[in-house]
Amino acid sequence: MTKTLLKAAAFLAILGGLLALPRFMDSPYALHMMILLFLSVSQGESWNILGGYAGQHSVGHAAYFGVGAYTTMMLMQAKGIAPWIGVWAGVAAVIVVALVIGSICFRLRGPYFVLASIAVAEIMRLSAINLTGLTNGAEGILVTELPAFRIGGRVITDFMTKVPFYYLGLGLALLTLAVTWGVERSKLGYYFQAIREDQDAAHSLGIHISLYKNIGLVISAVLTALAGAFYGVYVGFVDPPTVLGLDLSVQIMLIAIIGGMGTLYGPVLGSLVLVPLSEALRSNMITDLLVKSGLVSADSKVGLFLKENLAHAHVLLYGILVVLVILFMPEGIMGFVKKLASRRRKEAV
Amino acid sequence: MAVFLQSLISGILIGGVYALIGIGLTLIFGVMRVINFAHGDILMVGMYLTYILFTFAGIDPFVSVLISFPLMFIFGGFLQKVFINRVLNAVAQNQILLTIGLGLIMSNTVMLIFTSDYKIITTSYSSSTFQLGGGVSVSWPLLISFLITSAITAVLYWFLLKTDTGQAIRATAQDREAAQLMGINVKRMSIIAFGLGSALAGTAGALISPTYYIFPQVGSTFTLKAFVITVLGGMGSVVGATLGGVLIGITESMSAAYISSGWKDVVVFSLFLLVLLLKPSGLMGKSRT
Repeated sequence: MTKTLLKAAAFLAILGGLLALPRFMDSPYALHMMILLFLSVSQGESWNILGGYAGQHSVGHAAYFGVGAYTTMMLMQAKGIAPWIGVWAGVAAVIVVALVIGSICFRLRGPYFVLASIAVAEIMRLSAINLTGLTNGAEGILVTELPAFRIGGRVITDFMTKVPFYYLGLGLALLTLAVTWGVERSKLGYYFQAIREDQDAAHSLGIHISLYKNIGLVISAVLTALAGAFYGVYVGFVDPPTVLGLDLSVQIMLIAIIGGMGTLYGPVLGSLVLVPLSEALRSNMITDLLVKSGLVSADSKVGLFLKENLAHAHVLLYGILVVLVILFMPEGIMGFVKKLASRRRKEAV
Repeated sequence: MAVFLQSLISGILIGGVYALIGIGLTLIFGVMRVINFAHGDILMVGMYLTYILFTFAGIDPFVSVLISFPLMFIFGGFLQKVFINRVLNAVAQNQILLTIGLGLIMSNTVMLIFTSDYKIITTSYSSSTFQLGGGVSVSWPLLISFLITSAITAVLYWFLLKTDTGQAIRATAQDREAAQLMGINVKRMSIIAFGLGSALAGTAGALISPTYYIFPQVGSTFTLKAFVITVLGGMGSVVGATLGGVLIGITESMSAAYISSGWKDVVVFSLFLLVLLLKPSGLMGKSRT
């Protein structure tokens, strides 16, 4: 009992801190980092519902992210529809897409499901490149001017700073966490886990396999589409490789896998590791540190090489992390920590 | 008619290279039940190897196959021994993720060394063709690479069917445990199979390098194509992969000619989904259990 209370208190304290944070921190860069973190948490949690709990390892989640982002951006650019209205069209579109994909892919198992999910996402990406009339093709869609958000004629925000995006991102991350929490504790969550552990046994116990797989997919896809729409509006630009590419699908999956699949806080942990690391590489922070510490001189060949290239190599880090995680902690950081904790407990006894 | 013949011939020629890629993937899958998501990246490494040999040593891309084949074999064997071997009994998703990770490491390391600029290998024959009559022309580099792939495929069939090691590989693919009980060193067979698969992918990379752009991210396209080819032919079937490669080559060049080159990959992937749904065991595969 006290443990639950402690957990709730810790959660509320963190939440309160996060809510108050923009009041004390006005650096746009720091806010940007937090927004990226929230986005990553939402992506990871969304994937986790289908991939972690129901055990359907989709490597095509970029499809849902892209549909959410593109629908919202297309409506905004072509029809001038505000994103908070357009996003619901995106959600409707993604439900249709998810059900079509589900009806194709869920007939397949294991590696065949993975391959089919990649193929579907690739078809979507290629379509976005080729349907130039609708999506502006490879050039992508650029919308930088957002209409002010009003309630009853009063302007709530005009999106001129990063603060409204911060709260939107926080809300999104909390929503995905809340949905995951709800799924984990409901009958739905038990069905998912039964399907993950042994599909045939679950089937013989009377669980409607394809129905629950599709429910998991739709929940996961809708949340991913919301994250996509948020990304599109925040960055102001979408194009096929960034919101529909295979790299994105892999990145989304990694968040959950590195943190720990099928756990509530796994994707949060994964984001806390991945976002700062890749941002440090991307912004040349590591090179700057090496230069400042005197290990590498800025004008030397090595220094120039690092400065030039390290920024593009954050994906290399993803690769190394995946290999290390799979070989040495296949249950992710969460599983690794749990194992350590239980070992210590045993030793204590 | 000329358009039809032209696309049929180019399709078959490029299909030969696709077959090589597919056979490599299917060998690896057959022996280890591991789907190698780094297959296209291994091919990319083969392309850069050819590029290095051509630019710095002046070795012709087609001749360089003699060097890149053994080098890529060793590279593949190393990958198997150090990484893949540890996840042979792990769940499928961990195997997939490991190979995805290895692929990311390969493509990004190459990007660090060579930047993401497009490289080309310009040989005297890169764009030369000869007329076949009736308005149909054949590209020399494609024809040469097709002849080389045919030769390699023939040798490979002989190796798998007639030699002791080849038969041991096929036995391992058929039933790993039974093969082990018969005294076959399945661990060694796995290393050989992965080495061979990598060597074939690397060779395919060498063969297409005179006609393709070389860049670090080129692999993912080929990984996907390799899956389509092997699933089409039936996972684990070498004959199926050969047929699947040619079939995909023809499908691609036909849809490029009659629909548009932008949509050709969409056609290929849709075909892939159809095969997965209607005949998941593939054209030549046995039912999966």
